[in-house]
Amino acid sequence: MHNHTLTDSVRYSYVRVLSLLTLDMQKGRLPETYVFFLSKQHREVVLFKAFAKLRVEASRYYLGFLWWVFHPLLTMAIFYLVFHVLLQRGEPDYVAFLLIGVTTWHWFSNTISHSMNSIWGGGSLMSQVDIPKVVFPCVIIVLDTIKFSFVFLILLIFLIIYGHTPDVKYISLPLILLVQLLVITAGAFLVAAVVPFMPDLEYVFGVLLRLMLFLSGIFYSSERIPEKYKEYFYLNPMANLIESYRAVMMKHDWPDWTSLGLVANAAIIGIVATNLFIKRFDRLYPRICP
Amino acid sequence: MSAEPISSENVISLRGVGVRFYRRSGLFRQSLFTALHDISFDLQMGESLGIIGRNGSGKSTLIRVLAGIIEPDSGVCINHGYSTALLSMGIGFDKMLSGRHNAILNGLLLGFRKRDVVNRMSDIIAFAELDDFIDHPLYTYSSGMRARLGFSVALKLDPDILLVDEALGVGDAQFKAKSSEVMQQKIQSNRTAVLVSHSTDVIRKLCQRTVWIDHGELCGMGPTDEVLSKYHRFLKIEPS
Repeated sequence: MHNHTLTDSVRYSYVRVLSLLTLDMQKGRLPETYVFFLSKQHREVVLFKAFAKLRVEASRYYLGFLWWVFHPLLTMAIFYLVFHVLLQRGEPDYVAFLLIGVTTWHWFSNTISHSMNSIWGGGSLMSQVDIPKVVFPCVIIVLDTIKFSFVFLILLIFLIIYGHTPDVKYISLPLILLVQLLVITAGAFLVAAVVPFMPDLEYVFGVLLRLMLFLSGIFYSSERIPEKYKEYFYLNPMANLIESYRAVMMKHDWPDWTSLGLVANAAIIGIVATNLFIKRFDRLYPRICP
Repeated sequence: MSAEPISSENVISLRGVGVRFYRRSGLFRQSLFTALHDISFDLQMGESLGIIGRNGSGKSTLIRVLAGIIEPDSGVCINHGYSTALLSMGIGFDKMLSGRHNAILNGLLLGFRKRDVVNRMSDIIAFAELDDFIDHPLYTYSSGMRARLGFSVALKLDPDILLVDEALGVGDAQFKAKSSEVMQQKIQSNRTAVLVSHSTDVIRKLCQRTVWIDHGELCGMGPTDEVLSKYHRFLKIEPS
C-alpha cells in the first residue's frame, strides 16, 4: 500500500481514460456499444423505480400525494399575495409572468440538483447488479417530471383564472415542454456523470444553478438586457425556453421556432455525448462510488 | 464428492486479473489498494465453484469481476457469451415499500421483466413463507423475513449462471436448511454456479471445485477437499 498524491491519481485517471478510448477506436467498438439508450427491460426498471419512489414519498405524509397539488398551489398563492396584492407591481400580468418563469425553472433546477447524486449515491446498488448507469439519472428525470406535471396543470388553471384563456397556439406547448425535457436530460446526465469523479463539483454546480436562476430572465423581461449582452443572454437554454413559454401562454403568440430548434439540437448533442461518457465508464463507476 | 463429469467448456475465463482501488486518505492524498492481483482460472459449464478466503481477502471483488460489474485494471475477464446474475440478499430493497413491490423491483434489478416476476409472485410468497405480510411495508418485517423474501425472489426467478455472495448465512435454522436444500438441487441440476462464503461447511456441501484467495492473491485451486484442507492448515498457522 503506497501513498499517492493527487497529481498521481489525476495522471492515473487521465492515462486510463485515454487508453480505454484509444482501445475502443482501434476495435471500432464505438457505434454499437454506445449508441443505444436503454433496453426495454431497463426502461421498466426506470419506470418502476420512479413510481416506487413516488409511492414511498406519498406514504410518508398524511395528505400523501395531495401535497404535490397543495405545495405548488401555496407557493403560487404566496407569489400572488406578495406581487399582486402587496407590492402592486405596475407591469401588466407580472404574477403570470413570474409564475411561468418560476415553475418551469424549478422543473429544471430540481431535476439537475437531484441528479447530481444519482450515480454517486447508487454505489451500493451498482456493486451488486450490472445495470447501465444512465438508469440512475433517468429515474430522477421521470420522478421530477411527474411532479412537474401537477405543477404545470395548476399553472394552466391559474392562467385561465387570471384571464389567459388557451387558444390554438397552445398546441405548441407540448413541443416546448419536450425541448425542455431534452435540455433537462442533457443537464442531468452531465452532472450525474462527472460528480462521481470529483464530488466537489456538487458545490460548483450548486453555485452555477444559482447564477443561472438570475440569468434566465425569470424575474425580469429580456428587454431589460443591454443590446450588447443579448447574444450571451440567449446562450442560456432556459432563457430561450422561458421566453417561448411566455410568448405562447401570455402573449398568445407562436414561440420563436429558430431558438427552439437550436436549443433542441444542442440538447440532443448533449444527451448523446453525456450518454456516451456514462456508458464508457460503466464499469468504472462501481469502483469510485462508495 | 459428486462424481458427475465436468465438461471442459469454459463459461468465463480470467487471465491475470488485477483490481486496484483508490482511497482518499486526506486532502490531496490518496492511497492505492490492491484488491486482486494476477488471478487466473476458468469457470466451466455445469460446475459449481466455491470461492473461499478470510474477511477482506478479495472474494467479493472477485465475484463482481465474474458478474461483469467491475472491469479489471490489468488482465482480462472473458465471458464466453453467457448471462450472469449476482445474487445477494435484498438488492435495492426499500423499507417503505411493500414486500410485493420490493420483490418486483428486486427482480427487475436482477435483469428480469416485470411480467416474469408477477407470474411467479405466488411461488415467491409461498417459498418465503410471508402470507399476508407481502402487502405491508418492509419496515414491518423481521430481518429473517426480509432475508427470506430476497432469497426467494433470486431463487424462483432461476437465472442462467448463479453467482451467490454469502446468501446462506441468514434466516432461522429451518429456512436455512430449506434454502440450502434448494440450492443443492439447483447446483446438482447441472447449473453453473459460483458461491462465495467463508463458511467451509457450505462450500464443502455445495461445491465441486474451490478457489482460495488471500490478500488478493490466488493461494489454491482444485477439488474442494484438497483446497479446504490446505485452507484449514493455513488458518491454524495464522488465525484471522
